[in-house]
Amino acid sequence: MIKVLFFASLREQLGCDGTEAEAGGVTNIAELRAKLSENGEAWKSALTDERLQVALNQQLSTLDANVADGDEVAFFPPVTGG
Amino acid sequence: MAVEISISVQAQGFDPGAEYNRLREQNFADGATAMFVGNVRDFSPSETGERKSVTVLELEHYPGMAESALGDIARQAAERWPLGRVRVIHRYGPLDAGDEIVFVGTTSTHRQAALDACAFIMDFLKSRAPFWKREVGEGTDSGSWVEARSSDEDALKKW
Repeated sequence: MIKVLFFASLREQLGCDGTEAEAGGVTNIAELRAKLSENGEAWKSALTDERLQVALNQQLSTLDANVADGDEVAFFPPVTGG
Repeated sequence: MAVEISISVQAQGFDPGAEYNRLREQNFADGATAMFVGNVRDFSPSETGERKSVTVLELEHYPGMAESALGDIARQAAERWPLGRVRVIHRYGPLDAGDEIVFVGTTSTHRQAALDACAFIMDFLKSRAPFWKREVGEGTDSGSWVEARSSDEDALKKW
């Protein structure tokens, strides 16, 4: 399984702070995102926001990064700390 | 000598004076200490120039990644400048207007290195560390997420 986390406005849009996804049939984060978008229209519109950032195992990453069983993937809006 | 890096992601407040004392304690090699403290503003600026009142700033973070991202940024600074100590504190949770929210302290044998490293860490922290702010106003205002500004991303280009 791949652990998926959502933060800030994305978490509120989806109404949950995370989910789990089967690793089978998914090779990279773009494919994982496409699979999660099948959960409904709200997921599709929220997850296709091109400003969204992604982290793989708690490091900023890109959609073409490979994912495997046991990985943690987080999606979130641009950060606004400081 | 190895750079001493200390990172804290915490809900509780901090004392900038005590942090300065820690940066200086038994540190007689570094003649320069630079510090930045960020505080919660009591208003939210808008593009039209309006000032919307802010009573509480809620900070969300990504536990684990927040610490490692700040550590990575501090290490990058330590590779670029001759630093002695680096201290970064970032708070999360509900904060009141006027509260301290972030602290960056750097020490070096050179003034410019301490100042530049401090500014570098703040610039990268704002665009690369997983924290998100939500501003809550008076009364029934349920709050709105602070939008990332393109000027923050532009600030990285000078480094």
